[in-house]
Amino acid sequence: MSTSVATAGRRAPTTAHKHSLHRSRMWALWGSYIALGVFVIMFLIPPFYTLMTSLKSSAEISAQTGSPWIVHHPTLANFWYLITYPNFQRYYLNSIIVTVLTVAVSMVISVLAAFSLSRMGFWGSQTLSTGVFLTYLVPSSLLFIPLFQIVGWLGLINNFWCLVLLYPTLAVPFCTWIMIGYFSSIPKELDEAALIDGAGYLQILWKIFIPVAMPGIIAATIFAFTVAWGQFLYPLAYLYTSNQMVLTVGIISDLIRGDVFQWGKIMAACLLASLPPILIYAFLMDYYVAGLTAGATKG
Amino acid sequence: MASGTSIPIGVMTAGRTGVQRGSMRRFAQRRSTIAFLLCLPLILLIATFVVYPAIYAIYLSMLNKKMTTFVGLGNFAFLLRRHTFQLVIFQSCLFAITSVVLKAIIGFILAHLMHNIPGKNQRIWRGLLLVPWVIPLALSTLTWWWMFDPSYSAFNWVLNRFGIASVPWLGVGWIARFCTITVNVWYGTPFFMIMYLAALKSVPDQLYEAAAIDGANAVQKLFFVTLPMMRNIIAITVLFSLIVTFADFDIVRILTAGGPQDMTHVFATYAFQVGIQSGDIPLGAADSLFMFPILAFAAFFVLRGVTQRTKEIAA
Amino acid sequence: MGKATRRSMLKLAAASAALPLVHIRSGRAAGKLSVAFWDHWVPSGNAVMKKQIADWAAKTQVEVQTDFITSVGQKNVLTIAAEHQAKTGHDIQAFPTWEVLNNADTLEPMDDVMKHLTGKYGPVNQVCEYLAKVKGNWLAVPTSSGTQYKGPCGRISVLKEKAGLDVVAMYPAREVHTRESDGWTWDAHYKAADACAKAGMPFAIGLGQTSDSVDTAGALFRAFGAELVDKDGNITVKSDKVRAVLEFGQTFVKVLPDDAVSYDDASNNRALIAGKSALIWNPPSAWAVAKRDAPKVAADCWTFSAPSGPDGRFVPYLPFFWGVWSFSRNKTAAKELITYLLQREPVEQRCTAVFGYDVPPFNSMLNFKVWQEVEPPKGTVYNYPIRPVHKATAHIAGMPAPSDIAVQIYNRGTMPTMLAKLKSGQSVDQVISWASDELEGFTR
Repeated sequence: MSTSVATAGRRAPTTAHKHSLHRSRMWALWGSYIALGVFVIMFLIPPFYTLMTSLKSSAEISAQTGSPWIVHHPTLANFWYLITYPNFQRYYLNSIIVTVLTVAVSMVISVLAAFSLSRMGFWGSQTLSTGVFLTYLVPSSLLFIPLFQIVGWLGLINNFWCLVLLYPTLAVPFCTWIMIGYFSSIPKELDEAALIDGAGYLQILWKIFIPVAMPGIIAATIFAFTVAWGQFLYPLAYLYTSNQMVLTVGIISDLIRGDVFQWGKIMAACLLASLPPILIYAFLMDYYVAGLTAGATKG
Repeated sequence: MASGTSIPIGVMTAGRTGVQRGSMRRFAQRRSTIAFLLCLPLILLIATFVVYPAIYAIYLSMLNKKMTTFVGLGNFAFLLRRHTFQLVIFQSCLFAITSVVLKAIIGFILAHLMHNIPGKNQRIWRGLLLVPWVIPLALSTLTWWWMFDPSYSAFNWVLNRFGIASVPWLGVGWIARFCTITVNVWYGTPFFMIMYLAALKSVPDQLYEAAAIDGANAVQKLFFVTLPMMRNIIAITVLFSLIVTFADFDIVRILTAGGPQDMTHVFATYAFQVGIQSGDIPLGAADSLFMFPILAFAAFFVLRGVTQRTKEIAA
Repeated sequence: MGKATRRSMLKLAAASAALPLVHIRSGRAAGKLSVAFWDHWVPSGNAVMKKQIADWAAKTQVEVQTDFITSVGQKNVLTIAAEHQAKTGHDIQAFPTWEVLNNADTLEPMDDVMKHLTGKYGPVNQVCEYLAKVKGNWLAVPTSSGTQYKGPCGRISVLKEKAGLDVVAMYPAREVHTRESDGWTWDAHYKAADACAKAGMPFAIGLGQTSDSVDTAGALFRAFGAELVDKDGNITVKSDKVRAVLEFGQTFVKVLPDDAVSYDDASNNRALIAGKSALIWNPPSAWAVAKRDAPKVAADCWTFSAPSGPDGRFVPYLPFFWGVWSFSRNKTAAKELITYLLQREPVEQRCTAVFGYDVPPFNSMLNFKVWQEVEPPKGTVYNYPIRPVHKATAHIAGMPAPSDIAVQIYNRGTMPTMLAKLKSGQSVDQVISWASDELEGFTR
């Protein structure tokens, strides 16, 4: 539909009838732009304020002279402090390690399971494919208390590896669901033919399904990434030394001292921490939408 | 899902290659063994880190405060009698339902607006609108908190500029509730938008063309083409978001920590206060378990609807 | 005088008799030790602590792993809960206020360490006893690191000009009792708050549910003798004294800022630092930040004792404790390290490093020079720790109720919430009936 609008716009002004149609469409188009603009402004107020505050010194923040929405004496000191601050570097690194591993683990688990559930089946597989989604009914805010025991039993209290085990529980159900949807949309003739040629299941998965389902895989990967990068409760509960902390909890624990908030640095850290997801979304956005289109709508 | 129909293919394949019956059965067995093995990591993960702790939480919730005696459903009965907890139930529902409805509506509007504009321009707009969803929630909530802060509030500065008195954003029950919901809507709407946009893109253009030939106007197209085609995705997205919103911890914990006067507590933050801060882990576990039946109830109806519609389409 | 000397001599003898024991053990106290201390808001506090531990480790050949855990977002409480549940973790933990009682079943008795320390430095106060002595056994040792008073910290010039209060004359930086300080009552506090509020510089006292609000309200209630729950666990909220404090509260809350009910532990600091408040109840952390961000405000700050009420003068006190888990595998070394770190010299070093923020648990240590010297203005925190001349008592909100009820009164902020309800216009009767219902829920 979007393309039809665009093409209509290009060749419209041939007849009077088309002209009026074109005009009303132009109005709809401009209306959409204006409405979107209003929404964008509203949605971007907090990030904008974050940026402004991150450029202020503590003295300027506490002085409270003039508008808080603009910065009067911009300084990069907050960013420079963080970039050269060993703890912050550590949090960043830990976040990257945890997220990359979580994404890898989640994708392996959910692609294997989705392949099996959408194509092969076994006793109880139907129940499992619904049941997986239902694990969300037991949210992390319910599980973190009993999980103390399991994490302790694994010897992973205050060890970021526990997150690599725990985060997939938050990502896998949704990823599996997207992948089941995507795999189901692949025509059965493809794997039938491969089976006749004597290919094994893993070969079919690896050579046919994964390449074809790449958009879905990317969409699921991005979802897993978002979850792992931003989770707060589990690291808050299970990590407590700065060499193990990840960004979300590290920033809050490190830059707030007692009842003293270093707002400039907190805001700068918030921006730096948002950088990887912003980059990923910027580059992979089209795949994300495409993957969800094919996967989610058929699940 | 496809699992039900896929077995005949295997049998057919085996039949076509002309192998004996016995080996066919063996083939089917081998096939389901592999299928099971492929699901094993998933099963283990869920069993260890979701099912087992959930069962353990149920056990914990039936102990007394010192965790020495079994009290059955005593903790649940106790909680239900407390005014504060009744308030928590009300607020959790208010918070979750209002947020999800607003997210669904705004997300739907945004997806439509986005769908209206040419594809090549969509990227930048989509990108800008996705920013709230992309910033880690715990950190963006800190920004909101800072904007609501009594002595430094940037919103109040704007209000004062227009001669309006400062608003105690997080200081008065209903305003604080409004604030927590606002932050949640701000954060969650982009996800709805992107899911709906994906769904909109998958509605075949022929359907709209057919509707146009029948003389349908925009509203009719929306109600008779778009919405029916998107029903399943709307249902699933709403369910998913409902669960996540119900279980929210970050926003309320950081913004108000349940205050003022418990007027913004939700299940998760109340469980934290009771279970961790006041050292009553069984009561905390019992509190958070209240989420389960409510969510299961919602999930049952949503998923039943989805399955029914899927079957209708298939038939 | 001579008598006292002889007694302290005796104590010293007893202590030195205990000391060799500890020292003999140190010969064998090898192995590993992991300790979790409170992440001090003054980073230099951690550095000094690290150095002291390193010295001790070098001397005893024990390999020590030190973690500093912040109290932001209740991180330390979560960690303690995690270790308690998992039955694994550090050997030594720093327990804030209520956590000793919350974890009493998995803590190693520390009576031997306490005997040594109190023998050497004198007894600790009642609050410590209330919070860490269970069935006659000390389950943790009150420490200086993180232990704080939360009395008033006011703007000298503002209080003088707007309210006619000369706080420096009231509480000079000397060990002396003044007549003016006798007039420092809750009524005087109210009048000053009223005058300052009218001048646009309200007392930034919160009525939220976080600890600053709870502590101030606790001191107010106690000064009126108002107990919500008595020491036997009976709900005593329907008493004349509670009524009296609420009647006082009804007028008092009117002069507090409109957003007082949404205050958290940082709001009052911000109000003071922003130059918008004449007085807050807080440890010197607010003053120290002002020193960095708003030096003019800092130079005008004076910390002093709490006002008195019909039942006496009570200052909010929040002690930290060091305890050893019963599942620790190196209890001997753990106890030895705690003993070492609580000797006078290391305590003074740490206290000096954090500008006197840490209050030692023993009165004999109140003569550290740091409180006289910290500036600006010189002596600003001299009256921060309770001194005998203040005729004041340390108090924690919820005391003397049985600990499992008191911890809920404290953490759920029952007292400030009662005041907040008054502020929102409810009557004393309504508030009392709400509170009695709420308290019933705590006596589970």
